[in-house]
Amino acid sequence: MSKGEFAIIGTGEVPCGNYPERSEFEIAYTVARQAIQDAGIDKNDIGAVLCAQHIMSNPDNDYNTEMVFGRLPEAIGAKGCKVTCMTSSGGASSFSLRKTAEGILHSGETDTVLVVHAQRFSTFTPNEQAKYFSIAGSDVEWEVPYGMTYNALAAMITQAYMNITGTTIEQIAAVCVANRKWAMLQPNAMFNQKEITVEKVLNARMVSYPLTTLMCNVLGDGGSAFIMTTAEKARKVCDKPVYILGEASDYSHRTITRAGMRDFATMAEYLAPIAKRAFERSGLGPEDMDIFQIYGSYPCIQLIIMDALGLWEPGTTGALVASGETSPGGKYPVTTNGEALSFGHTGTGVGIALLVESVRQLQGKAGKAQVEGARFIIENTGGGAFMDCHFTVLGNQIPG
Amino acid sequence: MKKHEPISIETIKAMMNLTDEDLKKPLPKPTKWSQPFWDAAKEHRLVLRKCSKCGFIDHPPYLYCTNCHSDEHQWIEASGKGTLFAYAINYFGVPFPFWADLPYVLGMVDLPEGPRMISNIVECDFDKLANGMELEVVFDDVSEEITLPKWRPVKK
Repeated sequence: MSKGEFAIIGTGEVPCGNYPERSEFEIAYTVARQAIQDAGIDKNDIGAVLCAQHIMSNPDNDYNTEMVFGRLPEAIGAKGCKVTCMTSSGGASSFSLRKTAEGILHSGETDTVLVVHAQRFSTFTPNEQAKYFSIAGSDVEWEVPYGMTYNALAAMITQAYMNITGTTIEQIAAVCVANRKWAMLQPNAMFNQKEITVEKVLNARMVSYPLTTLMCNVLGDGGSAFIMTTAEKARKVCDKPVYILGEASDYSHRTITRAGMRDFATMAEYLAPIAKRAFERSGLGPEDMDIFQIYGSYPCIQLIIMDALGLWEPGTTGALVASGETSPGGKYPVTTNGEALSFGHTGTGVGIALLVESVRQLQGKAGKAQVEGARFIIENTGGGAFMDCHFTVLGNQIPG
Repeated sequence: MKKHEPISIETIKAMMNLTDEDLKKPLPKPTKWSQPFWDAAKEHRLVLRKCSKCGFIDHPPYLYCTNCHSDEHQWIEASGKGTLFAYAINYFGVPFPFWADLPYVLGMVDLPEGPRMISNIVECDFDKLANGMELEVVFDDVSEEITLPKWRPVKK
């Protein structure tokens, strides 16, 4: 990919939360039409439709099977569709979907790709959800038999990070508070009604020491969509396209015990070169960023990702967040949709929601959460048991 | 931090309509390449797969050496010593079969042989857990077929 070769021109999103009556199909069809309308294009211009994976399946009408078998282009009447498929890398899906879209655009078969995510958890019983999601990040042979959970994995990383960097539990809690403040400005966020405080986060029920319930993300039903085109087409059909300026990736492991970075406090040393490559490819640096869309799913992971950006001394980002500088009105807006912790965890859609929010910000469509004059954003995504990391620099202009 | 009353397994069982089947603990299902590890564990021995060509120790083990792709390997006896890299204490929100064990400790254990393992830290005082503390392996015969290696603090 060369700098600014591709652009996103429109987005769609439904509220995240508990909506058992709203099927995953309804979500997909709704966000698809929203994105088409937002982009201001004809639906028949869409030449490829890509779907994100739905987590867990409904045996009576399996969304994944339907999407793999081409339900979506038919349902939305995309008469010009030539390619449809599902692409998944769990939490990193926003990245792998976009990479797939770039490949299709590169092939020349079409210049317009629609990407859709939809997820409904609320029809599964708590037991089914617990069975699937509490252990999805863990190895079934080597970890699950010990009662390992996703939350415990994040708790161990948090415990090690605090131990080595001196970051306090109050600073970890401050990340949740900052995320909530942003979510309060988001009409589609799951938790946008009540502010939280550091004290409230610390006094919530202990889940996996040192993490309380308010430090763990909550699963919610939701979905979003975006439309990607070549920059050339974007300029013709859109007033404010959002260009992909630079991307970089790395994969580390499936099983956390085999992670390349042995010391989680210096995880930033592993992540920093990835961010650096993305910046280099964009021709920009961290100091040029107006917003930092950080995806961690847990507060400590957000800090570790921030540590890697090259703007702050690793280990000091907890204090930065506690100072309020990453909250609305602060100097460094971080994670402006409230992320998995307050927007809600929609399975493979957390990163897609952050990407969609990035596009809204750069198009000046972010409503109350709008960061005035935002031009450039760095965002990250990753999946599994923190198996990989992808950084992307986005902008509403292509720097020289 | 505030103390929250634990929710008993009986309450959870009634609340979630759980059957005995739902409360059965998941056990490792050994693969062709991990079977020797579990066979040794059953004999209360901790072994690791070491490549005979390049010397790399793979844990978890795979079909062939992940470093050089050689099939040739031997199972070496581990020292049974380890150090605690990090830990978490589960209090809530665990899969139901583990509910009755709450609270319990999960740790990342670094072996002097190289690998890191996730396991339970047992026979320990929660307040005395510390990163870097010395641990030794113990064996928990959880079924006729499966023994889980676990770790406890070394008594000084």
